[in-house]
Amino acid sequence: MTFLGSTTVRALLGPLAAAVVIALMSVGALPPYQAYSVALAAVYTIVVLSVGLLAGWSGIWSVGHPAFFALGAYFAAYGSGHGWSLETILLGTVVSAAALGGFVGYAGARFSTLYIALLTLAFSLVSLEVIHRWTAVTGGDQGVPVAEVPTLAGPVPGGGTEAQLLSVAAAGICLAIAVVAKGSALRMRLVAAKSHPLVAQSVGIAPEAQSALSFAVSAAFTGVGGVLLGLMTGFVSPDLFSLNLGVSLIASCVLGGVGSVLGAVVGGVYLAWSPTLAGAVGLPQPVVQGLVLIAALLFLPGGVVPFLGKLVRKRPRKTRPVALLPEPEIVRRTPEGPPLLTLNDVSVRFGGLKALEEASLSVRRGEVLAVIGPNGAGKTTLLNVLSGLSGGGKIEGAAQFDGGQLLTARATARRRFGMGRTFQHAETFDELTVVENLLCAHRRITSRRRTAVLDLLNRVGLADVADRNPADLPFGLQKRLDLARAVAEDPKLLVLDEPFGGLDADERAIAAKQIERLRDGGAAVLIIDHVLDDLFAVADRVVAFDFGKPIGEGPPGEVLQDSAVLASYLGTSTSRVRPADRPDDAPVVVRLAGIEHHYGGITALRGIDLDVHRGAVLGVVGANGAGKSTLGRVLHGSLRPSGGSREVLDVRAGLVPEGRALFKTLSLKENLEVAAYAAGLKGARLRARLDETAGWLPPRVRDRLGVQAAGLSGGEQQMLAIARALMAEPDVLIVDEPALGLAPALVDEVYTRLAELADGGMTVVLLEQLLSRALASCHEVVVLHEGVVAAKGAATDPAFTARAESAYFGGEHAVALGMTALEPR
Amino acid sequence: MDQLLLVLVSGVASGAIYGLMGLGLVIIYRATDVVNFALASLATLGLYVAITFHDNGTAVIVGVLGAVAVTVVAGLAVREVVIRPLGQGQLFAALVVTMGVALIAESVISELWGTQPKAFPSIVDGTVRVGELAIPTQSLLTIAVAGVAMALVAFLFGRTTHGSAMRAVAESADTAQVIGISAQRIARMAWALGLGLAALAACLYAPKVGLVPTVLSAPLFRAFAGIFLGGLNSMYGAVVGGLVVGVLENLGASYVSASFRDTFVFSFTVLVLLIRPQGLFGTRTFQRV
Repeated sequence: MTFLGSTTVRALLGPLAAAVVIALMSVGALPPYQAYSVALAAVYTIVVLSVGLLAGWSGIWSVGHPAFFALGAYFAAYGSGHGWSLETILLGTVVSAAALGGFVGYAGARFSTLYIALLTLAFSLVSLEVIHRWTAVTGGDQGVPVAEVPTLAGPVPGGGTEAQLLSVAAAGICLAIAVVAKGSALRMRLVAAKSHPLVAQSVGIAPEAQSALSFAVSAAFTGVGGVLLGLMTGFVSPDLFSLNLGVSLIASCVLGGVGSVLGAVVGGVYLAWSPTLAGAVGLPQPVVQGLVLIAALLFLPGGVVPFLGKLVRKRPRKTRPVALLPEPEIVRRTPEGPPLLTLNDVSVRFGGLKALEEASLSVRRGEVLAVIGPNGAGKTTLLNVLSGLSGGGKIEGAAQFDGGQLLTARATARRRFGMGRTFQHAETFDELTVVENLLCAHRRITSRRRTAVLDLLNRVGLADVADRNPADLPFGLQKRLDLARAVAEDPKLLVLDEPFGGLDADERAIAAKQIERLRDGGAAVLIIDHVLDDLFAVADRVVAFDFGKPIGEGPPGEVLQDSAVLASYLGTSTSRVRPADRPDDAPVVVRLAGIEHHYGGITALRGIDLDVHRGAVLGVVGANGAGKSTLGRVLHGSLRPSGGSREVLDVRAGLVPEGRALFKTLSLKENLEVAAYAAGLKGARLRARLDETAGWLPPRVRDRLGVQAAGLSGGEQQMLAIARALMAEPDVLIVDEPALGLAPALVDEVYTRLAELADGGMTVVLLEQLLSRALASCHEVVVLHEGVVAAKGAATDPAFTARAESAYFGGEHAVALGMTALEPR
Repeated sequence: MDQLLLVLVSGVASGAIYGLMGLGLVIIYRATDVVNFALASLATLGLYVAITFHDNGTAVIVGVLGAVAVTVVAGLAVREVVIRPLGQGQLFAALVVTMGVALIAESVISELWGTQPKAFPSIVDGTVRVGELAIPTQSLLTIAVAGVAMALVAFLFGRTTHGSAMRAVAESADTAQVIGISAQRIARMAWALGLGLAALAACLYAPKVGLVPTVLSAPLFRAFAGIFLGGLNSMYGAVVGGLVVGVLENLGASYVSASFRDTFVFSFTVLVLLIRPQGLFGTRTFQRV
């Protein structure tokens, strides 16, 4: 147990250092004034530790800790005047500070970091008012003396050496407690709740409880610090607890390093000697404190101790992905028994929008159910309903899971019932190490638990990186960790959100293996994904969704032959207004060459060469996640790609973003005006342009320019979004999925409008999910598949259609559908 | 009854001041995500410049204009030097940086002008008699000036393109960037406007209590209570919240306890927040996976 050993050693360092300081002070090696400063630094260390660990572990920044500090000090003063023992004073302080702190933490859990900071600030000010006015106890402005306090070990006089020694000893003990707490499940759960409140719920951690608990503990320690301060100074007055102190405490935390135990010592020392520092540089103390605060936040936001630690530590090793250990083959069982999960007519509504409409499905143990569907079909909503994370949505219907009602269970309880889920973007707790990401699901960490977790890491090939932070790992390993976290307690049902998304071929094969093994172990697995090849390889059954409800179901080999399902991806319409032919020799207005783009470790685009000709309607088609929006923003110029070049021939490009992105609280007219404002139009020119563009809008929109954009229907919003882009008089218009979420008739209207614009000479780039729609309304079509141009051709070429369909699904499934891949990939 | 009416009038007058300061805070917060704690101390700097003008014989109104100008310039300088380098989305760090600025500004003011209280001239003196009541003219003027300033702000945001652009950035900075609105330009406008309003509020407040370096800390906190009540991102909320706080504070001081007026106001605010965390007019933001 080297781990336990090193923690014990580190925990002893604090008390040991305290003992050395006490020894030095007792033999009189320090002059009295210095001894006082050392003791003051010890008290401040306790307070900085309370504030800093609260911020570092729970993400709660409190400016209100001077109030708890004052509470302890006045408790000491009042107690000393009434003959209370030190033990009574400490107990009273801890209980009342914890109760107050718990309340503030509980109330604060509902708010953002900023709001909590402001609330605690208010708390601090109210406490100052109370201190100033409640003269019977606090002595008001005059202050109140702290007399001798009896303890079990003999009396401690106020303002004496004994109190100084006691403070140093207490600081040593607090440091030891902090070190032990750092290795505990408590800290891991706090950090998990802080970095991803929703994901934390999926592993059974309730953020509100964590926040109340941590604030209570932090307040209690600060209260103890206050008692020591009172004893040490022998006199308590309000100016010790001003707002200045609250701000300086924050400065000390940031300076030392938030969440660092050693950093708290640095912070405490800084706070105790800052008056000396100010005297030395000849500036008023608040100026020095303010400058240090600003400089720390601007130049060293990580703090001194972590910064030095990073210099000392070696550069991290390069990770090599570890292959899976061979496992005994488990015999594949056929799915059996009654359904483990059954959904009956489940609907989810967000305001007026139905994200899920009377969805029913079931899945049995030992079965892999795949849920597919185009963007906006309701897949993610379905997953969130299952894991209880659907936010403000209104849920109707019923769901049975393993004999119980699922929808009424709290999100934090669902893991206990035997449900694990993963997330599309892995969503690991980045401030915890890999092993801690798995350990944090438990309140107590036993050695058996630790062994089980290490064993699991071994099995999924993460043992080598157990002590690294997930953020340093490649995306593939983060996804493995996400999956490991979901399966850590052998769930009966596994819900996987795009387990193959963003992975390369080898990683996808490993993921598929893992899913098969879980299924063979008897788990029910529900997967949503866009990478159909891999999904169909592991699925026993596929349910297709569109517009929030199931539209088809079947085995993987057959489901795409269902015309409704196929149409939901490719579309059916052919009766579009085709744009007028354009001359073949039109000049190139935007040229992309060798474009690549990465988000973090994920490749969105690779080797894109693309010419946009003047007056052309170019369709860019691909499934969700194929890289369309990224390509659109690169063409627009608002996203600088990681690699490659973009040449533009003196044209202005306008972008209509996906989802329309209107300013919903602004009126229609204001939405248009703001776009003109951004383009630099003013006065009469702005008004002329506004009239011109308003004239382009359909009459039912044009007549309501004064209403808020939120009041428009989806189709009208889309028209307005296009009109907004037109305000800046673009030569190239890039429209990202204009049909998203629109009823067919409205889609036709939007496309007719776009075709009219093209006929008027506008160059249009259409980013589109449905192939048939793009083929019907564009001159030229480019098919994107996983960030690569998989096919390119003229929309009128009949041979291109088959090639494009094949490219859309990535080849293999087109073969399964009886299509021939004409273009070698 | 007359007593109550007097308390209400002085409550509305105080509330108008808190509302103006709160409006300044909210305008800056909506456009730049910065809760500007230094607002009060920068406005105090403006007040001291105004009193220096006045001591040298200029008219009060010139002093007020000077105060506004100095506060705006100081605020813009602060934004360029310490807030802009922080980058986007640093809500807490930005708050703490402005606290640091407030510490420095207050200390510099004390060094330059001393901590001895000074009288700050009223723009008008005397009282207006309404029946049996003697209402201080300064209170009425305060209400009138604040009302005009708020109406101008409403006009700016509701009727001009600059205002639309500022509201657009407040709603979605990302979309604003896509359509090409310059975030820096909007930020500068918001800071200038917010600080100008704060300086104006300061000039209306200072005659009541006299001038010390910490003169504006009390109204700043009540303005905060007001925007908590109204919702951090609502301009109407800031004004209404400020008025409610002003009236409550005066009622509390007259009928509950003059010593614990802020405790009274904040207890009320916290109670409201427990029931409605987003404030009376604020909009709730949902977290997403």
